[in-house]
Amino acid sequence: MANNRWGYPDLGFGIGLRSVHYEHILQNRPKIDWFEILSENYLDTGGRPLSVLDQVAERYPVVLHGVSMSVGSIDPVNVDYLNKLKALGQRVNARWISDHLCWTGVSGMNTHDLLPMPYTDESLRHTAKRVRQIQEILERPIALENPSTYLEFSGSTWNESDFLVQLAKEADCGILLDVNNVYVSSFNHGFDAEKYIDGIPADRVVQIHLAGHTHKGTHILDTHSDYVIDTVWDLYRYTYQRIGAVSTLLEWDASIPEFDIVHAEALKAKAHREAAAMPEMEEAAAYGD
Amino acid sequence: MATDLASLQRWMQHCIQQPGECDGEMVNQARELVKPSSTLESEERLDIYRGMYLLRMQEALEVDYPGLAKFLGLDEFMRLVSRYVDLYPSRSYTLNRLGDRLPAFLETISDIRKPEFCRDLARLELLLTQVFDETETPALTAEQIAAVPQDAWEGARLRPIAAFRLAAFDYPVSQYLGAVDEENPYPQIRKRKTWIAAYRRNYQVHRLDLNRQASEILGLLAEGKTLGDALTAVRVPQSRLFQWFRDWVSEGLFHAVELGT
Repeated sequence: MANNRWGYPDLGFGIGLRSVHYEHILQNRPKIDWFEILSENYLDTGGRPLSVLDQVAERYPVVLHGVSMSVGSIDPVNVDYLNKLKALGQRVNARWISDHLCWTGVSGMNTHDLLPMPYTDESLRHTAKRVRQIQEILERPIALENPSTYLEFSGSTWNESDFLVQLAKEADCGILLDVNNVYVSSFNHGFDAEKYIDGIPADRVVQIHLAGHTHKGTHILDTHSDYVIDTVWDLYRYTYQRIGAVSTLLEWDASIPEFDIVHAEALKAKAHREAAAMPEMEEAAAYGD
Repeated sequence: MATDLASLQRWMQHCIQQPGECDGEMVNQARELVKPSSTLESEERLDIYRGMYLLRMQEALEVDYPGLAKFLGLDEFMRLVSRYVDLYPSRSYTLNRLGDRLPAFLETISDIRKPEFCRDLARLELLLTQVFDETETPALTAEQIAAVPQDAWEGARLRPIAAFRLAAFDYPVSQYLGAVDEENPYPQIRKRKTWIAAYRRNYQVHRLDLNRQASEILGLLAEGKTLGDALTAVRVPQSRLFQWFRDWVSEGLFHAVELGT
């Protein structure tokens, strides 16, 4: 039963489709609930990645996750990019399309980084307008992910959680809640991670991300290069109790181990969700439900 | 400093793309516009993004130019990346196109190790990325070849697959790349003319070493010349031509054969 307002289903526990796992997936057809792809890797290519993706999409649900929508940029939206994204989504029957609350470049350039927004009324109005425009072109709602950030602007008048929620309301878009990013940014900026999650309305959340990170002592980098740490698993259980069952995706993008290790890490989320659900079930049993 | 969205984004992008250390003005601006954290000063937080930018560009270019990166070594390759993206920052939604101008950029500089060799190597590696991403077109089958009447071959036009490129080099760059791929000792770099066909078969990118005549024939066929015209222009013994042709067909270099009317 979906908790979000668009009825997007809980797909279960997936991982990111990465080229180092192509052979394994095609040969072994592993039992995995779903895959998320990095959209830009499959645009403008007629080569192997697209061929593999077509085969994967025949057998598994696929979700598109991008890094170049640049929803907060002052540049005009890139219609060419969005049209290609839309076509890719149709080609693989993408369950939904997501990107990040960020900007990636201005003046026609792309830094290919998820750069932080100043959280002000001006950027809220601007970004909401762009997200609505993007959704009109894609002809579907998108989900925006809370990014890991390493700086905050002095001029921000909103906290990130409230900004994201207000943006989702004004643009009528979904939220991809990255629990690791909440933890990373809470460390980098010194806010309360649970309070952040408390502010996110369940009916806007269409997906959850989990990943490992790199602790540099003075700050944490969102590197997707390791196992999920215990504190983030705790936060995931907390999120589940607040928001309910939502499609969960494990990201591993650097120093990627073999498929079974990444998949096993994703399946830990299932165990954590079941553990988090237990007190609720016991309570229900006690009341004869 | 102005703190509207446009000004902030232009400022931050400028800082990120500016090579070198944070200068005094940038530090002052960062302290005005960016909150410090409990562990980092404003400019140190900005520096995280500045450092990641160049690393990301280097990683992307190393994927497309592994041979060049190996040849130059990390430090020299990083310096090259910094100069290149300063002149040609990414303007695409994909990093796959970032390196498209690198061979042309290398034509304009000479203060790197063995610049002529680097230019050839980069040209070859760019071709390979193009072949990797090309549209898939099915290769001519043995049955299609067998169906061509013997007397029609002279006027036949052989169309190569989309994922096919030909190039000539002044250095044996394919041999060097082969050593990099196989993690073998690198061959000595001596000037020697070489000809390469780069193509894709079963979604794998391959390189085929050619001699001058084979390259010329393939080049003429790719231009749309008939087989008869190509053989008139480049004279080779028939037995050698038959062998080449068998090899090229078995490697899947041709997509279609069009018969003259």
